[in-house]
Amino acid sequence: MKFDPTLPDDSANVSATHPLREAATLIVGIAVAAALVFVAIAAMVELLIPHISPALEARIFSRSEVVAALLPDMEESLDSRTAAVDGLLDRLADHWPDNPYMLRVAIIDDATPNAFAFPGGLVAVTTGLLSEIASDNELAFVLAHEIGHFRNRDHLRGLGRGLAFGVVVGVFGVGGSAGAAELAGAAGWFAAAGFSRDQENAADDFALALVQAEYGHVGGAVNFFERLPKPDNAIEREIEGYLSTHPLSAERIDAMLALVHERGWRSDGPLTPLSAALEAPAPGG
Amino acid sequence: MDPTTEALINLGLPLLLLVATYFTGSAVERRHYRSIRAREFESRQLPAITFRTLPRRWEVVGSGLVSGSVVISVDYFKRFLAGLRQFVGGRVKSYETILDRARREAVLRLKEEAAAAGYAAVINVRLETARMANGRNGSGIAGLEVLAYGTGIKLRHGAP
Repeated sequence: MKFDPTLPDDSANVSATHPLREAATLIVGIAVAAALVFVAIAAMVELLIPHISPALEARIFSRSEVVAALLPDMEESLDSRTAAVDGLLDRLADHWPDNPYMLRVAIIDDATPNAFAFPGGLVAVTTGLLSEIASDNELAFVLAHEIGHFRNRDHLRGLGRGLAFGVVVGVFGVGGSAGAAELAGAAGWFAAAGFSRDQENAADDFALALVQAEYGHVGGAVNFFERLPKPDNAIEREIEGYLSTHPLSAERIDAMLALVHERGWRSDGPLTPLSAALEAPAPGG
Repeated sequence: MDPTTEALINLGLPLLLLVATYFTGSAVERRHYRSIRAREFESRQLPAITFRTLPRRWEVVGSGLVSGSVVISVDYFKRFLAGLRQFVGGRVKSYETILDRARREAVLRLKEEAAAAGYAAVINVRLETARMANGRNGSGIAGLEVLAYGTGIKLRHGAP
């Protein structure tokens, strides 16, 4: 037998596709699939919302473990500030005749001025917001705005989007590292908190009506937004709490002013000073 | 640490690692292939064949076991590509070069061992593959081992 020295074939066992090309194809394809799954889940939640009554919602979301999962930083103690905010919230809610919610207040220890509407009728305000407000009227508008989200059931839509995001990251998250999970949690929060401009305008509309009913004028509502510190650049604007979850466009303020004018409400009435509990410096900060 | 910094680190670090390991991985692979091709050319006259029996003309004066083995690790970038592959299926192309390099390197080491021991040929060459896990529960790939072994043959006339 004759031995023929040959060299191994270089190409038979290795695909010719460039790794970067393969990476691009896979990333784009999977991103599209993930986006489709996200849209599908969000749409399903949208279809479900009319079938979730406020009573059912309260049953689900008043469970303490659900609240704890949503609000890990919530201050547990029912201090005088919580009571003061709660009192104002109740007075405003009295002007909403068929309010099906048992509205409650939670204070989150966070320096960024912000407020959230959580399922089950929980209104959360940050300590940053409490130190920023200067009158009862301003706080009333922020609270009434969140009540507006409850009336329009925006909070469930927000939660649905957050849930969809969580599912997508959970399924498609590559690596499964702790970092990815944390990122998913943070992004889910953002997704849950960010509402569309239409939703914000509708909530503003309702909020102004409640404030008008409570004080007889809407003074203090719009000024609060104008007083809030403006972030310096686009990135900061992106991450700044109240300004990102409640986009503070000039159009939104214009829309409010137009509405006030249209309804013939007064915007220059006397402002009610803050109650003593809220005027005091926040404990420990 | 505020959540934005945290998110940036959580997202940016893996991304940086992906880019870095793509370049280091490709450089290592290119160098390995250069070495493989050169050594394959040098050792082409020493047959490493899969026959189980000896060709009739060979006059054998000695024999013994020879082996060559190599462990090659996948890099972060290749693992990332393979991870994406899991969703859609298909050929895990990023691992193909790893296996190809490991097989050829193992055969080369077998030939080098045979040449050092004075064998003129290696017959009945076999290849074994083993996955080395780095987790205690067998999870994660630390590397891939390919073992090549066969019977070294000494011939009366030196070369086949």
